[in-house]
Amino acid sequence: MNVNEKSNGDCVSPSQIDASCRVPSLALFGGAALWLVVGLALALIASIKFHQPAFLADCSLLTYGHVQAAANDLILYGFAIPAALGVLLWIFARLSQAELVLPLVPVVAAHIWHVGVLLGTIGILTGNSTGFAWLEYPRLVFPLLLVAFILIAISAVATFGQRKERELYPSHWFLLAALLWFPWIYSTANIFLVVWPVRGVGQAVINWWFVNNLLFVWLALVGLGVAFYFLPKLGGKPLHSRFWAQFAFWTLTLFGTFLGIPQGAPVPAWYPAASALASSLLIIPLIAIAIIFVKTVCGANVSCKGGPFCYIKFGTVAFLLSGLMTIAVSCPHFSQITRFTWFETAQTQLQLFGFFAIVILGGAYEILPRVMGSPLPFPKFIRFQHWCFMLGTLLLVGSLAVSGIQQGLHDYSFDLALPALRISTLGLFFLLLGSLMFAANIFVMTIKWNLALGKTVLAAVIAPLKTAEVKS
Amino acid sequence: MSDESKSCATPSNAEPTATRSTVPMWIFSATLVLIYLGTVYFDHHSGWFSAKVYSPYANVDELELYQPKSGAAAQLARGKQVYEQVCGLCHGVDGLGKPGQAPPLAESEFVTAKGITRLTHIPLLGVTGSIKVQGKDWNMAMAAMGAGLSDSDLASVLTYIRTSWGNHAEVVDADAVKAVRATIKSSAPMNGDQLMKMPE
Repeated sequence: MNVNEKSNGDCVSPSQIDASCRVPSLALFGGAALWLVVGLALALIASIKFHQPAFLADCSLLTYGHVQAAANDLILYGFAIPAALGVLLWIFARLSQAELVLPLVPVVAAHIWHVGVLLGTIGILTGNSTGFAWLEYPRLVFPLLLVAFILIAISAVATFGQRKERELYPSHWFLLAALLWFPWIYSTANIFLVVWPVRGVGQAVINWWFVNNLLFVWLALVGLGVAFYFLPKLGGKPLHSRFWAQFAFWTLTLFGTFLGIPQGAPVPAWYPAASALASSLLIIPLIAIAIIFVKTVCGANVSCKGGPFCYIKFGTVAFLLSGLMTIAVSCPHFSQITRFTWFETAQTQLQLFGFFAIVILGGAYEILPRVMGSPLPFPKFIRFQHWCFMLGTLLLVGSLAVSGIQQGLHDYSFDLALPALRISTLGLFFLLLGSLMFAANIFVMTIKWNLALGKTVLAAVIAPLKTAEVKS
Repeated sequence: MSDESKSCATPSNAEPTATRSTVPMWIFSATLVLIYLGTVYFDHHSGWFSAKVYSPYANVDELELYQPKSGAAAQLARGKQVYEQVCGLCHGVDGLGKPGQAPPLAESEFVTAKGITRLTHIPLLGVTGSIKVQGKDWNMAMAAMGAGLSDSDLASVLTYIRTSWGNHAEVVDADAVKAVRATIKSSAPMNGDQLMKMPE
């Protein structure tokens, strides 16, 4: 960072803004990195169990049902959401050109959140899951996560209120909507499924609605908000354009919410018909996002070299693919093939790892050196991790998608599925390797920062008092 | 973003901006076309929000068509089917008849009468010459359209026309039709006066 930048008048220098995000970023990213590693390790165990059924089978904590659910929730609630909030806070502070308001609130909230995730994971592994997909955490965890999210949202919105420019940047819409979206869907789903469960098939409908709104709409809002910030910033070209982004935002939020009820679900026919209608309309925001992406990225004068720009480019393309897979799964003819197969899992993994994790990690790698005011301890890991994540996503998603279509077309045979499952395990291994590099960077950084902090405190404590002060 | 607000930021720290190129009309047109096609799909597959229609059925009519029926409902369904094949062409599927061709059955005094003697004679023998329905004279010829129907089919049709389109007469069973058929000796079509001379 440029040390000569000093505040003059109303103007807050970028380095001051970055410094105000330091502790919240460390708190949010640190826990997220830990949960990503643990979550991927559990996912790897679950994946190995498909071709080595005896693997860890004697330990009741690590049976498939426990491990798979814990891994999913760790990656979504443990990693994706807090890491996204860390990036969001920094973007809001930067776009507002103001220091983060209430910087301690997100720090406290991050700790509440991570404790909630820890309790939830213990709950799942000990067999106290609620049994609803992507909502497995026991009842106790719901208020913790909700309060933590709202606290972080308060800090973000207060920072937003300090902005110097009245006109909003397109990322603002996406990220502000996400701040409102999560408390709405998370509280609704928990109240009607976990706290006071509704009866009968209504449970399944609420669960489908929640999963789609979280995994598709929420992740898309945050990931695209972050991508629309970093693509023009790193590429050095303005975003093309605010009206295209507006169009993509409204069509995505309008059509995206209706998705998620699978074809052939045991509910009145209008539910899946409405979902199929909305999914065919989803092609419109995808076209808009593709046009924004191509026109913003083409001709950008930046050589990528596996840096954050690469991460976000890859992530945006993965989102477009994942969107096309979502449309395919909701299409009545295609869903006859892919229903209940690995194809649906492949779509979820592409959305989570190929799109969201990569975009957020790219953002985090861009932010970390700025907020810490020092370069990363292992800058080469950025490039290695990019390759690990690309390769891992490709192996994981590609093998499961192909295997899913095979499953749907032929009679299911284990011999047919086994090679694909082995490849997907390899993919998860590469993802785990990449996540270890992120964890190494952030933990070494945190330790260094704590040591430096300790030295400063120690120096202040043992510094000899000036005699003039003693006398007075 | 104005230049002034950027004054304290170095170029590498500048916040991103967005151009103001407009969204072309073709994508709005494409959206509208897709919404239209989507609603057509929804119209064909949703059962219009009915809580009873589940996939693979697409609407309430289709659902009812495939439901097994028994007793009165089965008789009514059979009656509707036979009516639409045999009678509906002239009397109309809505039972309102056709001017100059066939009198209405809805609220016709022959159809809604207490007994079924007069009513049963009409399809069994046919009608010729003038006949007064709801105070209006009709002068036409009707063949013995029901002569070939079995007792139970004829009973079903009569039940259907006596209970549809606002008619609320009693149902007819096959035995009653059989009894009326047994009294018929000739095969000459009836006229209005002959019908009115019969008991109801």
